[in-house]
Amino acid sequence: MKGQRPAIIGVGRTKFGEHYERGPEKLVEEAGLQALGLAGVERKDLDACYFSDYFLQITNKIGIEEGFLSELLELHVPMEKVRSFSSALLNACHAVQSGKYGVVLVGGMEKMTDRWDKIRDDLMLLEDPWSYYAGCTPEANHELLLSGYVKKYGISGEQLEKFNVALAQIAVKNHYHAIENEYAQYQRDITVDKVLKERSKACKSLGLYDFAPISDGASALILASPEIAKNYSDNPIQVLGSSSATDYVTFPSREDRTGFVASTMAMKSALKMTDIEVGDIQIAELYDQSTLLEMISLEDLGFSKRGKAWLDIYNSCKEYQGFYEIDGKKLFVNMNGGLKADGNPLGATGGAQIFEVVKQLRGEAGKRQVKVDGDMPKFGVISELEGFGTKAYVHILGEGLT
Amino acid sequence: MSSEPIERRVSYIGDRLRGSQCTLCGKEYFRGKDYCGKCGRKSFGKMKDIDFFYEKGKLEVCTFVGEPTNKFTKLGPYAYGIVSFHNGKVRVPGRLTDFLLKNGELDISCFEDKEVVPRFRRRYAVARSDVVPTISLAFTFADDYYPHQEYEILKPKKEYETPGIVGYGVYVSKFRIKEGMMERSVPFIDEDAVTAAVEAGKTALIHSGVDHSLIGKVYVGSESNPYAVKPIASKVAQVLKLGMEEKTDGIQSVDAIDTEFACKAATSMFKDAASLVYYPRAHIPFTMTVGTDNSQAAPRDELGGELDLFVGYGGSAFIFGMQDVIAELEGWYSCTSDTPDFWRRDREPYPRHGGRFTGEPAYFKHVMKACRSLMEQLKLQVSDVNYFISHQPNIGFPVRVAQELGFKEDQYMPGLQVAKFGNTYSGSSPIGLAAVLDRAKPNERIIIVSYGSGAGSDAYSLLTTSQIKEKRQRQKFTIKHQIENEHLEYVDYTTYRRLKHGL
Repeated sequence: MKGQRPAIIGVGRTKFGEHYERGPEKLVEEAGLQALGLAGVERKDLDACYFSDYFLQITNKIGIEEGFLSELLELHVPMEKVRSFSSALLNACHAVQSGKYGVVLVGGMEKMTDRWDKIRDDLMLLEDPWSYYAGCTPEANHELLLSGYVKKYGISGEQLEKFNVALAQIAVKNHYHAIENEYAQYQRDITVDKVLKERSKACKSLGLYDFAPISDGASALILASPEIAKNYSDNPIQVLGSSSATDYVTFPSREDRTGFVASTMAMKSALKMTDIEVGDIQIAELYDQSTLLEMISLEDLGFSKRGKAWLDIYNSCKEYQGFYEIDGKKLFVNMNGGLKADGNPLGATGGAQIFEVVKQLRGEAGKRQVKVDGDMPKFGVISELEGFGTKAYVHILGEGLT
Repeated sequence: MSSEPIERRVSYIGDRLRGSQCTLCGKEYFRGKDYCGKCGRKSFGKMKDIDFFYEKGKLEVCTFVGEPTNKFTKLGPYAYGIVSFHNGKVRVPGRLTDFLLKNGELDISCFEDKEVVPRFRRRYAVARSDVVPTISLAFTFADDYYPHQEYEILKPKKEYETPGIVGYGVYVSKFRIKEGMMERSVPFIDEDAVTAAVEAGKTALIHSGVDHSLIGKVYVGSESNPYAVKPIASKVAQVLKLGMEEKTDGIQSVDAIDTEFACKAATSMFKDAASLVYYPRAHIPFTMTVGTDNSQAAPRDELGGELDLFVGYGGSAFIFGMQDVIAELEGWYSCTSDTPDFWRRDREPYPRHGGRFTGEPAYFKHVMKACRSLMEQLKLQVSDVNYFISHQPNIGFPVRVAQELGFKEDQYMPGLQVAKFGNTYSGSSPIGLAAVLDRAKPNERIIIVSYGSGAGSDAYSLLTTSQIKEKRQRQKFTIKHQIENEHLEYVDYTTYRRLKHGL
């Protein structure tokens, strides 16, 4: 991506949570206007829109989202609909890089609580049908991955207790970070005890507090080519690397069931586009659909050694200082509270992850602002999954690599 | 509303666990595939159809599902995991079935790495008017009630002049309710008359060693088919791959038909099944007759609720042919009268019966008439008969009828199974016959008299052959195994009603 690096010149988002009084258009409008405003871009400046949502067809009977967006913006530019926000951004990046478009709106939204009683069945659309037929639930594969992981690395006895605590600490840490995030679904503390209690209540390795909630919300950003970005912004955040990879939808059929090969591949190819290494990344917004997935992501993206992420987490969280310490390096993970506490409105989730990294890199994160040994962070990574590791997207953001 | 074409494709693959294998590299897949991902284009046309229906799998990892998705809620809590076949060559998702939580407690840590057997079950709950979805991605442990049995096709050794039974199988669920002197079988919530029919047929194929593709006709008798219109027999034929299969269109070259005549729906077809294999121009070497019921009864406090004390659940299957016969069909006699002693009107969920009227002018009259006429016809004395079996709606009726016909305890007790399984309706007297065949010596004579309300009886005389003993070793899932089993689970009345009502 060297040379033609698209830049993010504005970001916006709504609060995540249950917005039963507001329809999809209101949420999109709020996030979109915020991004446009921050970028100083007018609607008429937009060359194209990329929009992401998973279930708007089912939850709100909107089958051609582009038309819905066209009506909302009163614009007739090219628009494309994809599933995840990261996918929308990746597609927008490709278009901007090719020189086709100069300014692009990337937006995502989800209105999951509009189908509260059926949404868990809807979520099974993200798994393969045979798993569904056999009785799989949105949570079951997380448990199976955990079980396979524990077996593969022979974690038992005292180690297993530590492992379980480490996963609980992820939820506690993410809730702790969300307290200062005004957009977060849950701005409150939880304790390790509470996480563990919910697990034993459910007779499972992962309980209520291990999983991201059901949420409504929208997010947006404005992407521009580097030349145009200069006209709008003094501190555009560049997309240094951006990639994706794909795996079998059927989890039982995959070669490795203790991690996501798609994440590893996407990270590798995204890094290749940059001049940096994993160790240079200071902020990571990881896809913690469950606490387990935050842990697994640390390994898949190459931050932690295979089979050791839980130990890195455990050691970092004994006396948590706001970051994970891995091999002597500081990694700030899920500063917005992660999917767990910030919320997980599928199509908008990636936008919130990017929102956080952009704010952090620009030094606009307020009380959440990360400083690495006194300096502003330079590089951040976002990893987002579609389905249970079926698709993985990685974006590496940074300020001014020239 | 389910979409029928999807349902057809899913159950075609899922009921039998069909897959494919690359003949070049050996790689296996669940579901059909036209080429191998490893070998690429050169593997086109080199893929072999396989299935995992008779295989034993291994539960690699599993989890407890306490909050299923909507369609699975009725199943209650269950365990779900990944099952591998052929040492990990193929992995499939699977639900553990026959699974009741005891005192709300559960330890699934011991489940992993255990061997499991695929079971043909209902998939999940749907609206009452919808197609019933089924699947075999349901599993039970191989060391539990239902053992894993290989299906080995045998080369026939001997031709007989008289057609007869060449193999049989009985399937009764692992759940029971015990009240007074009676133990009765209770289906698990995902079982019904269709699943029992398939299980019984599968067990019969295993016992007979008959090539499934040589079965030319299958009869299924039942009075609890979940459908008013749609045969059980088509499911049995498809899942067990009876008759030759036309690969291109997924159609079996077999005739399949459901029959209904209360509890004699299956036994009535024994003579038809035997006659068909005897008719030279039919070119049908084998036929299968299945009797299956999730015997219906109204709840105890409702009209017709008296039946609720007696009903069971199970199926039986008998394969008829003229090769390697274990019991020759010596003769038969059937009789019928229009006697309304027990009935179920269309759209009514439960049957009604005529109270005391069901005994004297109904059951006893027909059973005695059929038995006496058959014995007269074959010029048999009571002492010529080694075993006598009659329809078993309760304990009293079959004992009384046997005694009135002059049979002694050692003749009628071996076939009296109602106290262990309850009245399995169409499966009732056939299960008694299976219990006798499980123990009979060569050259013994068996008389079985069925009774179906409405009303009629079929009496048959069977003569065992020398091959009955050698074939016996092929069956682990015997009547005795299903009665004296340490894994049986006893349920209370409320659970029994819930399970029996099903999905």
